[in-house]
Amino acid sequence: MTGTNHEPGMKEYIAIWVGLLCIVGIETFLTTLHLSTHKLLLALLLLAFAEAGIALLYFMHLKYEKPKLFWTLVPAVIFVLFMMNHIWPDAYRMLNMRVPIQ
Amino acid sequence: MSESEMTLGAGHAAALEPSPYGIQSKKLTMWLFIISDAVTFGAILFGYSYLRAGTPDWPTPFQFSPSVVNGLIMTFVLLTSSLTMLAAVSAAKQGRKSACLQWLAATIVLGIIFATLHLREWFHLFADGWSLSKNPLGGPVQFGATFFSITGLHLMHVISGVIALIVIAIGYNTEWLDSGHVEATGLYWHFVDLVWMFVFPLLYLMNVAR
Repeated sequence: MTGTNHEPGMKEYIAIWVGLLCIVGIETFLTTLHLSTHKLLLALLLLAFAEAGIALLYFMHLKYEKPKLFWTLVPAVIFVLFMMNHIWPDAYRMLNMRVPIQ
Repeated sequence: MSESEMTLGAGHAAALEPSPYGIQSKKLTMWLFIISDAVTFGAILFGYSYLRAGTPDWPTPFQFSPSVVNGLIMTFVLLTSSLTMLAAVSAAKQGRKSACLQWLAATIVLGIIFATLHLREWFHLFADGWSLSKNPLGGPVQFGATFFSITGLHLMHVISGVIALIVIAIGYNTEWLDSGHVEATGLYWHFVDLVWMFVFPLLYLMNVAR
Protein backbone atom coordinates (compact mmCIF):
# COMPACT_ATOMS: atom_id res chain seq x y z
CA MET A 1 0.00 0.00 0.00
CA THR A 2 2.23 2.70 -1.24
CA GLY A 3 -0.52 5.16 -1.95
CA THR A 4 1.18 6.09 -5.21
CA ASN A 5 -0.22 5.76 -8.69
CA HIS A 6 2.70 3.64 -9.94
CA GLU A 7 0.76 0.62 -11.14
CA PRO A 8 2.39 -2.48 -12.62
CA GLY A 9 2.51 -2.98 -16.38
CA MET A 10 1.20 -5.96 -18.37
CA LYS A 11 4.49 -7.89 -17.90
CA GLU A 12 4.06 -7.77 -14.12
CA TYR A 13 0.39 -8.71 -14.45
CA ILE A 14 1.29 -11.73 -16.59
CA ALA A 15 3.88 -12.81 -13.97
CA ILE A 16 1.20 -12.53 -11.25
CA TRP A 17 -1.26 -14.49 -13.44
CA VAL A 18 1.33 -17.29 -13.86
CA GLY A 19 1.92 -17.26 -10.09
CA LEU A 20 -1.81 -17.64 -9.42
CA LEU A 21 -2.00 -20.55 -11.89
CA CYS A 22 0.92 -22.19 -10.05
CA ILE A 23 -0.97 -21.93 -6.74
CA VAL A 24 -3.98 -23.61 -8.40
CA GLY A 25 -1.58 -26.36 -9.56
CA ILE A 26 -0.30 -26.82 -5.99
CA GLU A 27 -3.88 -27.02 -4.70
CA THR A 28 -4.69 -29.74 -7.25
CA PHE A 29 -1.49 -31.64 -6.37
CA LEU A 30 -2.39 -31.56 -2.66
CA THR A 31 -5.69 -33.26 -3.50
CA THR A 32 -3.78 -36.30 -4.78
CA LEU A 33 -1.80 -36.71 -1.51
CA HIS A 34 -4.66 -38.37 0.43
CA LEU A 35 -4.45 -35.91 3.34
CA SER A 36 -7.11 -36.05 6.06
CA THR A 37 -10.19 -33.87 5.44
CA HIS A 38 -9.18 -31.32 8.07
CA LYS A 39 -5.57 -31.02 6.86
CA LEU A 40 -6.64 -30.73 3.22
CA LEU A 41 -9.26 -28.10 4.11
CA LEU A 42 -6.70 -26.09 6.08
CA ALA A 43 -4.08 -26.27 3.31
CA LEU A 44 -6.56 -25.34 0.58
CA LEU A 45 -7.93 -22.44 2.65
CA LEU A 46 -4.43 -21.07 3.31
CA LEU A 47 -3.56 -21.23 -0.39
CA ALA A 48 -6.91 -19.68 -1.36
CA PHE A 49 -6.31 -16.79 1.05
CA ALA A 50 -2.84 -16.28 -0.44
CA GLU A 51 -4.36 -16.20 -3.95
CA ALA A 52 -7.10 -13.83 -2.84
CA GLY A 53 -4.56 -11.52 -1.20
CA ILE A 54 -2.49 -11.34 -4.39
CA ALA A 55 -5.60 -10.67 -6.49
CA LEU A 56 -6.79 -8.01 -4.04
CA LEU A 57 -3.47 -6.16 -3.87
CA TYR A 58 -2.39 -6.36 -7.52
CA PHE A 59 -5.38 -7.12 -9.79
CA MET A 60 -7.74 -4.90 -7.77
CA HIS A 61 -4.97 -2.31 -7.24
CA LEU A 62 -5.51 -2.04 -3.48
CA LYS A 63 -1.70 -1.90 -3.06
CA TYR A 64 -1.61 1.26 -5.16
CA GLU A 65 -4.48 3.11 -3.49
CA LYS A 66 -4.22 5.30 -0.39
CA PRO A 67 -3.50 3.04 2.63
CA LYS A 68 -6.63 4.25 4.42
CA LEU A 69 -8.79 2.54 1.78
CA PHE A 70 -7.18 -0.79 2.70
CA TRP A 71 -7.50 -0.08 6.45
CA THR A 72 -11.16 0.85 6.03
CA LEU A 73 -12.22 -2.15 3.97
CA VAL A 74 -10.14 -5.20 4.88
CA PRO A 75 -10.27 -5.14 8.73
CA ALA A 76 -14.05 -4.55 8.54
CA VAL A 77 -14.57 -7.66 6.38
CA ILE A 78 -12.27 -9.79 8.56
CA PHE A 79 -14.00 -8.57 11.75
CA VAL A 80 -17.50 -9.31 10.45
CA LEU A 81 -16.52 -12.74 9.07
CA PHE A 82 -14.69 -13.66 12.27
CA MET A 83 -17.57 -12.61 14.51
CA MET A 84 -20.17 -14.25 12.28
CA ASN A 85 -18.33 -17.52 11.87
CA HIS A 86 -16.53 -18.04 15.16
CA ILE A 87 -18.20 -16.00 17.91
CA TRP A 88 -21.92 -15.56 17.31
CA PRO A 89 -23.91 -18.71 18.23
CA ASP A 90 -25.25 -19.23 14.70
CA ALA A 91 -21.71 -20.15 13.66
CA TYR A 92 -22.07 -23.56 15.29
CA ARG A 93 -25.54 -24.33 13.98
CA MET A 94 -24.17 -26.01 10.86
CA LEU A 95 -22.22 -28.53 12.96
CA ASN A 96 -25.48 -29.64 14.59
CA MET A 97 -27.29 -29.85 11.25
CA ARG A 98 -25.10 -32.65 9.96
CA VAL A 99 -26.68 -36.00 9.27
CA PRO A 100 -25.71 -38.55 11.97
CA ILE A 101 -23.74 -41.58 10.79
CA GLN A 102 -26.00 -44.64 10.51
CA MET B 1 -25.71 36.28 4.00
CA SER B 2 -29.12 34.61 4.00
CA GLU B 3 -29.59 31.03 5.18
CA SER B 4 -30.28 29.80 1.66
CA GLU B 5 -27.07 31.43 0.39
CA MET B 6 -25.12 29.80 3.21
CA THR B 7 -26.60 26.41 2.35
CA LEU B 8 -25.72 26.90 -1.29
CA GLY B 9 -22.19 27.87 -0.29
CA ALA B 10 -21.81 24.78 1.88
CA GLY B 11 -23.15 22.68 -0.97
CA HIS B 12 -20.46 23.94 -3.36
CA ALA B 13 -17.80 23.47 -0.71
CA ALA B 14 -18.93 19.89 -0.22
CA ALA B 15 -18.82 19.28 -3.97
CA LEU B 16 -15.27 20.61 -4.18
CA GLU B 17 -14.03 18.68 -1.16
CA PRO B 18 -11.42 16.09 -2.22
CA SER B 19 -12.34 12.41 -1.91
CA PRO B 20 -11.00 11.07 1.41
CA TYR B 21 -9.74 7.95 -0.35
CA GLY B 22 -8.45 9.69 -3.46
CA ILE B 23 -10.72 7.68 -5.75
CA GLN B 24 -13.88 8.41 -7.74
CA SER B 25 -17.18 7.89 -5.94
CA LYS B 26 -18.18 5.16 -8.42
CA LYS B 27 -15.08 3.19 -7.50
CA LEU B 28 -15.70 3.65 -3.76
CA THR B 29 -19.30 2.51 -4.26
CA MET B 30 -18.05 -0.60 -6.03
CA TRP B 31 -15.66 -1.31 -3.16
CA LEU B 32 -18.53 -1.01 -0.66
CA PHE B 33 -20.63 -3.41 -2.76
CA ILE B 34 -17.67 -5.81 -2.97
CA ILE B 35 -17.12 -5.95 0.81
CA SER B 36 -20.81 -6.63 1.42
CA ASP B 37 -20.74 -9.37 -1.23
CA ALA B 38 -17.51 -10.76 0.29
CA VAL B 39 -19.30 -11.14 3.62
CA THR B 40 -22.18 -12.99 1.90
CA PHE B 41 -19.84 -15.42 0.13
CA GLY B 42 -17.66 -15.70 3.25
CA ALA B 43 -20.66 -16.69 5.38
CA ILE B 44 -21.92 -19.39 3.00
CA LEU B 45 -18.43 -20.77 2.37
CA PHE B 46 -17.74 -20.93 6.13
CA GLY B 47 -21.13 -22.64 6.62
CA TYR B 48 -20.30 -25.16 3.89
CA SER B 49 -16.82 -25.79 5.36
CA TYR B 50 -18.25 -26.52 8.81
CA LEU B 51 -20.73 -28.92 7.24
CA ARG B 52 -18.09 -30.58 5.02
CA ALA B 53 -15.54 -31.02 7.83
CA GLY B 54 -18.17 -32.12 10.36
CA THR B 55 -19.76 -34.84 8.20
CA PRO B 56 -17.52 -37.94 7.99
CA ASP B 57 -19.59 -39.69 5.28
CA TRP B 58 -19.83 -36.63 3.04
CA PRO B 59 -20.16 -37.78 -0.60
CA THR B 60 -17.16 -37.24 -2.91
CA PRO B 61 -18.68 -37.52 -6.38
CA PHE B 62 -15.93 -35.89 -8.44
CA GLN B 63 -13.34 -37.89 -10.38
CA PHE B 64 -10.13 -36.17 -11.46
CA SER B 65 -11.32 -36.52 -15.04
CA PRO B 66 -13.65 -35.02 -16.17
CA SER B 67 -14.79 -32.96 -13.13
CA VAL B 68 -11.49 -31.57 -11.80
CA VAL B 69 -10.06 -31.16 -15.31
CA ASN B 70 -13.20 -29.19 -16.23
CA GLY B 71 -12.78 -27.13 -13.04
CA LEU B 72 -9.14 -26.44 -13.90
CA ILE B 73 -10.11 -25.27 -17.39
CA MET B 74 -12.79 -23.02 -15.84
CA THR B 75 -10.18 -21.61 -13.42
CA PHE B 76 -7.76 -20.96 -16.27
CA VAL B 77 -10.50 -19.22 -18.30
CA LEU B 78 -11.59 -17.01 -15.38
CA LEU B 79 -8.02 -16.07 -14.37
CA THR B 80 -7.24 -15.24 -18.00
CA SER B 81 -10.38 -13.08 -18.17
CA SER B 82 -8.99 -11.07 -15.23
CA LEU B 83 -5.84 -10.49 -17.25
CA THR B 84 -7.82 -9.29 -20.29
CA MET B 85 -9.87 -7.05 -17.97
CA LEU B 86 -6.64 -5.49 -16.64
CA ALA B 87 -5.59 -4.85 -20.25
CA ALA B 88 -8.98 -3.22 -20.95
CA VAL B 89 -8.69 -0.94 -17.88
CA SER B 90 -5.11 -0.03 -18.79
CA ALA B 91 -6.13 0.82 -22.38
CA ALA B 92 -9.13 2.86 -21.14
CA LYS B 93 -6.91 4.90 -18.80
CA GLN B 94 -4.55 5.63 -21.70
CA GLY B 95 -7.49 6.65 -23.90
CA ARG B 96 -6.92 3.78 -26.37
CA LYS B 97 -10.60 3.23 -27.09
CA SER B 98 -10.27 0.57 -29.77
CA ALA B 99 -7.85 -1.54 -27.70
CA CYS B 100 -10.09 -1.18 -24.63
CA LEU B 101 -13.12 -2.42 -26.56
CA GLN B 102 -11.16 -5.38 -27.94
CA TRP B 103 -10.00 -6.42 -24.47
CA LEU B 104 -13.52 -5.96 -23.08
CA ALA B 105 -14.82 -8.21 -25.88
CA ALA B 106 -12.19 -10.83 -24.98
CA THR B 107 -13.28 -10.66 -21.32
CA ILE B 108 -16.94 -11.05 -22.29
CA VAL B 109 -16.14 -14.10 -24.48
CA LEU B 110 -14.12 -15.71 -21.67
CA GLY B 111 -16.97 -15.03 -19.22
CA ILE B 112 -19.43 -16.73 -21.60
CA ILE B 113 -17.05 -19.72 -21.99
CA PHE B 114 -16.81 -20.00 -18.18
CA ALA B 115 -20.60 -19.91 -17.77
CA THR B 116 -21.05 -22.51 -20.55
CA LEU B 117 -18.52 -24.89 -18.96
CA HIS B 118 -20.21 -24.39 -15.60
CA LEU B 119 -23.66 -25.16 -16.95
CA ARG B 120 -22.28 -28.23 -18.78
CA GLU B 121 -20.92 -29.46 -15.42
CA TRP B 122 -24.30 -28.90 -13.81
CA PHE B 123 -26.19 -30.81 -16.51
CA HIS B 124 -23.80 -33.77 -16.14
CA LEU B 125 -24.55 -33.79 -12.40
CA PHE B 126 -28.31 -33.56 -13.06
CA ALA B 127 -27.99 -36.50 -15.48
CA ASP B 128 -26.22 -38.50 -12.74
CA GLY B 129 -29.20 -37.92 -10.43
CA TRP B 130 -27.88 -35.04 -8.30
CA SER B 131 -30.18 -32.16 -7.35
CA LEU B 132 -30.66 -29.71 -4.49
CA SER B 133 -32.20 -32.45 -2.35
CA LYS B 134 -31.06 -35.74 -3.95
CA ASN B 135 -27.90 -37.76 -3.49
CA PRO B 136 -27.74 -40.75 -5.88
CA LEU B 137 -24.75 -42.19 -3.94
CA GLY B 138 -26.71 -42.42 -0.67
CA GLY B 139 -25.77 -40.62 2.56
CA PRO B 140 -26.06 -36.89 3.32
CA VAL B 141 -28.15 -34.92 0.85
CA GLN B 142 -26.55 -31.58 1.70
CA PHE B 143 -23.87 -31.92 -0.99
CA GLY B 144 -26.32 -30.99 -3.77
CA ALA B 145 -27.82 -28.16 -1.73
CA THR B 146 -24.44 -26.58 -0.94
CA PHE B 147 -22.82 -27.26 -4.32
CA PHE B 148 -25.66 -25.94 -6.48
CA SER B 149 -26.44 -22.95 -4.24
CA ILE B 150 -22.83 -21.74 -3.88
CA THR B 151 -21.79 -22.36 -7.49
CA GLY B 152 -25.19 -21.00 -8.60
CA LEU B 153 -24.65 -17.76 -6.70
CA HIS B 154 -21.19 -17.46 -8.25
CA LEU B 155 -22.52 -18.27 -11.72
CA MET B 156 -25.16 -15.58 -11.26
CA HIS B 157 -22.36 -13.11 -10.51
CA VAL B 158 -20.49 -14.17 -13.67
CA ILE B 159 -23.60 -13.79 -15.85
CA SER B 160 -24.36 -10.39 -14.24
CA GLY B 161 -20.74 -9.41 -14.88
CA VAL B 162 -20.96 -10.36 -18.55
CA ILE B 163 -24.15 -8.26 -18.92
CA ALA B 164 -22.47 -5.35 -17.09
CA LEU B 165 -19.40 -5.61 -19.34
CA ILE B 166 -21.60 -5.52 -22.47
CA VAL B 167 -23.38 -2.39 -21.17
CA ILE B 168 -20.05 -0.78 -20.25
CA ALA B 169 -18.53 -1.61 -23.66
CA ILE B 170 -21.51 -0.07 -25.48
CA GLY B 171 -21.48 2.98 -23.18
CA TYR B 172 -17.72 3.47 -23.51
CA ASN B 173 -17.93 3.11 -27.30
CA THR B 174 -20.65 5.77 -27.52
CA GLU B 175 -18.80 7.97 -24.98
CA TRP B 176 -21.78 7.84 -22.66
CA LEU B 177 -19.47 6.21 -20.07
CA ASP B 178 -15.79 6.91 -19.30
CA SER B 179 -12.69 5.01 -18.22
CA GLY B 180 -13.78 5.29 -14.57
CA HIS B 181 -16.77 3.08 -15.35
CA VAL B 182 -14.52 0.52 -17.05
CA GLU B 183 -12.25 0.51 -13.97
CA ALA B 184 -15.14 0.12 -11.50
CA THR B 185 -16.57 -2.78 -13.54
CA GLY B 186 -13.08 -4.28 -13.64
CA LEU B 187 -13.05 -4.30 -9.84
CA TYR B 188 -16.29 -6.29 -9.84
CA TRP B 189 -14.90 -8.75 -12.40
CA HIS B 190 -11.73 -9.35 -10.36
CA PHE B 191 -13.90 -9.92 -7.29
CA VAL B 192 -15.83 -12.63 -9.16
CA ASP B 193 -12.45 -14.23 -9.96
CA LEU B 194 -11.38 -13.88 -6.32
CA VAL B 195 -14.49 -15.71 -5.09
CA TRP B 196 -13.78 -18.57 -7.52
CA MET B 197 -10.35 -18.94 -5.86
CA PHE B 198 -12.27 -20.20 -2.81
CA VAL B 199 -15.12 -21.99 -4.60
CA PHE B 200 -12.89 -24.21 -6.75
CA PRO B 201 -10.73 -25.72 -3.96
CA LEU B 202 -13.53 -25.94 -1.40
CA LEU B 203 -16.29 -27.33 -3.62
CA TYR B 204 -14.37 -29.24 -6.28
CA LEU B 205 -11.02 -30.31 -4.81
CA MET B 206 -12.48 -31.14 -1.39
CA ASN B 207 -14.99 -33.46 -3.07
CA VAL B 208 -12.68 -35.54 -5.26
CA ALA B 209 -13.17 -39.30 -4.84
CA ARG B 210 -10.19 -40.72 -2.93
